Amino acid sequence: MSISLSRPMSLAFSLPAVIAILPFLGACFYIFRFSISAEKGVIDGYSIQAYIDLMTPFFGRSVWLTLKLAFVATIIAMMLAVPLAFLLTSLKSPLARRCLTVTILLPLILNLLVQAYGWILLLGPSGVLNSALKALGIIERPIFLLFNETGVLLGLIQTSLPLAVFPIVSSVRGLSQEHLEAASSLGASHWRTFVDVTVPLLRPGLVGAASIVFAFNASAFAIPLLLGGRRVQMMGVAIRDMISPLFNWSGAAAAGMILITLTLIVLVFSSWLVRVTSEKVRG
Amino acid sequence: MRVGLLPTEGNSTYRFTVLLLATIGILISSLPVIVVTIMSFSASDNTGFPPPDLSLRWYWDVIAMFTQEDANSAQSVVDSTVTSLLVAFIVMIISTIVCIPLAYALARGDRRIRDGMELLFTLPLVFPLVILGIAFLLIAESLRMDIGIWRIVIPHVALVLPFVLRNCIGAMNGISVETEEAAISLGASPLRAIWDVVIPLMRAGILAGLIFALIISFNEFTITFFMYTIDVSTLPIWMYSRTVSSLDPSTLALSVFIIVADVVLIVLVDKLIAGRANLF
Repeated sequence: MSISLSRPMSLAFSLPAVIAILPFLGACFYIFRFSISAEKGVIDGYSIQAYIDLMTPFFGRSVWLTLKLAFVATIIAMMLAVPLAFLLTSLKSPLARRCLTVTILLPLILNLLVQAYGWILLLGPSGVLNSALKALGIIERPIFLLFNETGVLLGLIQTSLPLAVFPIVSSVRGLSQEHLEAASSLGASHWRTFVDVTVPLLRPGLVGAASIVFAFNASAFAIPLLLGGRRVQMMGVAIRDMISPLFNWSGAAAAGMILITLTLIVLVFSSWLVRVTSEKVRG
Repeated sequence: MRVGLLPTEGNSTYRFTVLLLATIGILISSLPVIVVTIMSFSASDNTGFPPPDLSLRWYWDVIAMFTQEDANSAQSVVDSTVTSLLVAFIVMIISTIVCIPLAYALARGDRRIRDGMELLFTLPLVFPLVILGIAFLLIAESLRMDIGIWRIVIPHVALVLPFVLRNCIGAMNGISVETEEAAISLGASPLRAIWDVVIPLMRAGILAGLIFALIISFNEFTITFFMYTIDVSTLPIWMYSRTVSSLDPSTLALSVFIIVADVVLIVLVDKLIAGRANLF
């Protein structure tokens, strides 16, 4: 005797959750339908005018800025996440492990406003960094780190770091000890082992983590809104501005579709990359 | 011989680089929270660093905000906190109730349904929140119905489902089919076996999911930023409207309360799922 649900039974068990996610699917469809509406304010007729209207230097700059910041933030977050994952998996004391887990996870969960306050206090004209540099006599006038790309970049790295660390931690846990021992007993240095053994073995996990971090950063809204002000028009903020002062609903929907498409392309491309490279490793 | 990823002996550049980068990562993660906490104890009216003196005056301010009626503000902090908690509570209950049977179906049902469902319930995780906020706002506007608190609850449920489901699936994976078979062979009906055997065994994962849903909903800003109305607004929105022009230290003291609550809840989740499942 074995317990396995019949197909109707398993669909019946899934039904409540599917109902709960329906509004989400409805929202996805609605935004797509609105983006091809002929009217700016209501859904009526079909037209791709909204997309054509987006072909402006302003929106192009916003797309470029979004891709650039998301890319740089992803690279830096990955460079910090791998060592953090190594540290987290090699900690022996449960208390230290728990403290580190909470420290890394907190930025993802905590109210984004609180974190923005933190960055404003750190980077502001009379903030921690400027006061410290001034006290040390390195600078005379405060340097501006807030309401420009630097502040947004730091905020993005901070909030997306947990999304990189935890998937890498689970792939590090799955790393076979034998490979590392073999490399080390054959006389490979730590760097050599890292480049030639650890990274190739971790590659699927690394690519997966990086793609999620990139998608998360490209669609960031609160961080550029709070730390970038009006100057750093990442797509999330640009889309909000189309609605709030301009009431260009179909334009915002079309811009949203472009943002979704960009993130989907990255996700699909990276899962393809994982498949191709893992086949190569196996073959 | 154990070869760690982080060598314990020697002063190699490898070990130094790994530790240096990890330290930078820890600093970037934690500095904003630490500075907010330090500045909330400042005795001065502005937020210049370092604070000239330490005091608890902003904490008394926050307590006063919650206990005294403030006639000046349109939306009081008490109202938005109550709304926030109510939304988080409803979201937590709904998402968990729908995820338990789904997790069971995915663990025991057929493979193809499992793959499709897992993909479907990962979508909210990678979908841009701004677009979701705008889409839900458009739908709510075109419905022309006053659905009160549900205009925030419904999007939040979609948002937390992936997290709750992962926790429930993690809990299901640890339960062997034999335990269930034993209950059935002793005469329990399949549903009875689920209720009396499987669900109690899933308890830790369910609890972790509940808490996850609670913290995510309580801290959510982006979607709520589009969905809030004068009558239905949450604590993060209240904080935003208060600090949109300048930052005042009493908000920092309020932030510290939120930080403490979040840390306590995350530690609780981490304890519940320690070693058995991944956080997400």
